[in-house]
Amino acid sequence: MARFTKKINPGVILGLPYLAHLLLFFVYPVVFSFILVFHRWDIVTPMEFVGMRNIGRIFADEVFLQSIINTGVFLVLHIPLQIIVALFFAVLLNEEIRARGFFRTLYFLPVVVSGVVVTILFQQLFSYDNGLLNQFLATLGLPYVPWLVSSKWAMPSIALMATWKNVGLYIILFMAGLQSIPSQLYEAARLDGTSTWQRFYHITLPMLNPTMVTVVVLSVIGGFSLFIEPYVMTGGGPMNSTLSAVLYIYNQAFNFGHMGYAATLGLFFAAIIFTVVIIQRRFVESELYQ
Amino acid sequence: MKKTDPYYRKENTGHIIRDSLGGWVLLLLAFITVAGGCGNSSDPSGDSGTGVTTLTYWSAPNPQEYAMAQDLVAEWNRDNPRIQVKLQALPAGQSSEEVLLSAMVAGTTPDICSNIWPGVTNDFIRAKGLYALDRFDDFEEVMAARVPGDIIESVRSADGHIYQIPWKTNPIMVQYNVAMFEDAGIDEFPRTYSEFLEAAAKITKDRSGDGRYDQWMGFRDIRPIWWQRYYDYYTSYITASGGKTFFDKGELAIDRKASDQVFGFYQSLYNNGYFPRSSLQGNAFLYGIIATEFTGPWNIAYLENNAPASLRYDFAPVPVPDDYVGDTYSYGDHKNIVIFSTTRHPEASWEFVKFLTTKEADYRLLSFARQIPVRKNLLTDPEFEEFFRENPMLARFAEQAAYTRGVDSIRDLKEILDAVARYYEKSAVYGAIPPEQATRDMIEAIRVIREWNK
Repeated sequence: MARFTKKINPGVILGLPYLAHLLLFFVYPVVFSFILVFHRWDIVTPMEFVGMRNIGRIFADEVFLQSIINTGVFLVLHIPLQIIVALFFAVLLNEEIRARGFFRTLYFLPVVVSGVVVTILFQQLFSYDNGLLNQFLATLGLPYVPWLVSSKWAMPSIALMATWKNVGLYIILFMAGLQSIPSQLYEAARLDGTSTWQRFYHITLPMLNPTMVTVVVLSVIGGFSLFIEPYVMTGGGPMNSTLSAVLYIYNQAFNFGHMGYAATLGLFFAAIIFTVVIIQRRFVESELYQ
Repeated sequence: MKKTDPYYRKENTGHIIRDSLGGWVLLLLAFITVAGGCGNSSDPSGDSGTGVTTLTYWSAPNPQEYAMAQDLVAEWNRDNPRIQVKLQALPAGQSSEEVLLSAMVAGTTPDICSNIWPGVTNDFIRAKGLYALDRFDDFEEVMAARVPGDIIESVRSADGHIYQIPWKTNPIMVQYNVAMFEDAGIDEFPRTYSEFLEAAAKITKDRSGDGRYDQWMGFRDIRPIWWQRYYDYYTSYITASGGKTFFDKGELAIDRKASDQVFGFYQSLYNNGYFPRSSLQGNAFLYGIIATEFTGPWNIAYLENNAPASLRYDFAPVPVPDDYVGDTYSYGDHKNIVIFSTTRHPEASWEFVKFLTTKEADYRLLSFARQIPVRKNLLTDPEFEEFFRENPMLARFAEQAAYTRGVDSIRDLKEILDAVARYYEKSAVYGAIPPEQATRDMIEAIRVIREWNK
């Protein structure tokens, strides 16, 4: 044993736990997913080779297409909303206001609360006939909004909730970005007689670009993995309008036992995310840093 | 060699690494030992050299049933010192089926389990996870003495063997608030769809005067979740079709007329606002916010413990289509007993299973756990008569139990019910398509699922 370990570089041995982790939790699942693509497997019975059948099925699967469109709709609604709200509060909390620490903590609180808990709370708030939101609207003389019971409203409602839940994290990121902007820039601009809006548009926004990239990338990743909200709140309804791609894949795998098809969908979806990330890197980053 | 010498440090590092490597090896060994131990946790079936056979039995985790199982197991262990049974509540998980599936994959199934949903047994049989009970010599005799003949046949697997004993059934009926019906001038619970809708029109109302309903005829979870449909569409389909399920001898045989009627009935309830498209907080039935609920006998124990003294409630059969003639069937959530193929003591397990299905054990199931045993002539048996006289609500469920149908023992059941849930939502809840189209599209969707999964 002693002779054996003497010959090995200690670094290699110290790296073994990481290597074991990598092989067990990353390499093995990915390789296994590729194998599953060509098989039918319900976990219980032995795998059955089905060739290209799972791949062929994707292109005839209208529900999966619908789930990808739904995820896209969520991203389109959620990301701009999140950026605007987070930036607004970050700028506000960066000013010398009273109880700033309290408000900073307050906005961050939903981030640390369990997603399932927040979703159940919002399910009650959004309830059509007796939810607090609709009762509040009624006191203002406004009509009830079918938050979760209309295929037009359900996804925007989920985007609204996701924004409330996650915005605290992005406020922190933007505040870190704001604090790294040199104050001399603002002083010089003030001397030049600029307005608040001009300073925000010509100094704050361009200087926040690196943070913006981080926020966009994190939001896109978070948006693509939309699962808990529709799983708990709507089950994918009304009429598949909130069925996200991940929820659909989950159903195929763990409700219907189609592990092979779910793996195929998962890899296909990963390819879409990969493409989006490449495009993002090409356009967003190059534009920002040039 | 001095400690400051770089070579010393290298040697020392090697020593640390040797030590830590040894630590890793020990940790790995410990892990393997623990994992191995876990893997064999269901294996106390061994004789452990004492001549005593130990069996593991998983019961449902609900408090009443677990307490009853504890009683039964204690009695068995007292009378059978050579076959000792270790009771465990089914481990916690999202559903019993999920837990059992995990146990099956891991090879850690118990010897006996009494909480098996028939919809999942087909998967277990394909995985060779169950022991064929008809291999026991006295199986037919034991079954014939307890279970009605048609029910025995309904659990026969496609390979001709029987792997499960129908143990208990929970027929779905309508629980209703007697006072709310009386206030609306209705003395008898409605039997037909028209009567039910007529009653719903009287009961659903705006109590606060804000121009919106805040009291409804009933409530169902509208999310398109497959198992939710057991308590509305599937129950009503069995009723409307006179006791048919979706399949006949493995072939899809949905009664289109019955399906249309069911979709139409629920569509009327939602379109008219008699059932809300909301999620209601708390138990709306207890608070008098809804007048009816589709539920099973398990709710009796809940109401006895939680209902305010002023709440008067009763149970009635599920409503039938207006032109329906015949007995009122319903969906019955069966739970069966199986012996897993991992058992090393099938004969001993069978002896314990027979003990679980004796008349005395069935009486405890009824009186203690408030669940209906699948037993012949339950209502006329002199040993049960007095109990039913004292518990008229359970008697209603026992009467209904003779007219229940479960789920088809086929593959893809969850996926098929998912299709049902999607068309139910589209047609019944949101009225986006007429009932006839919903039935047509649903049948086509089921056909595609079956075709694909062949």
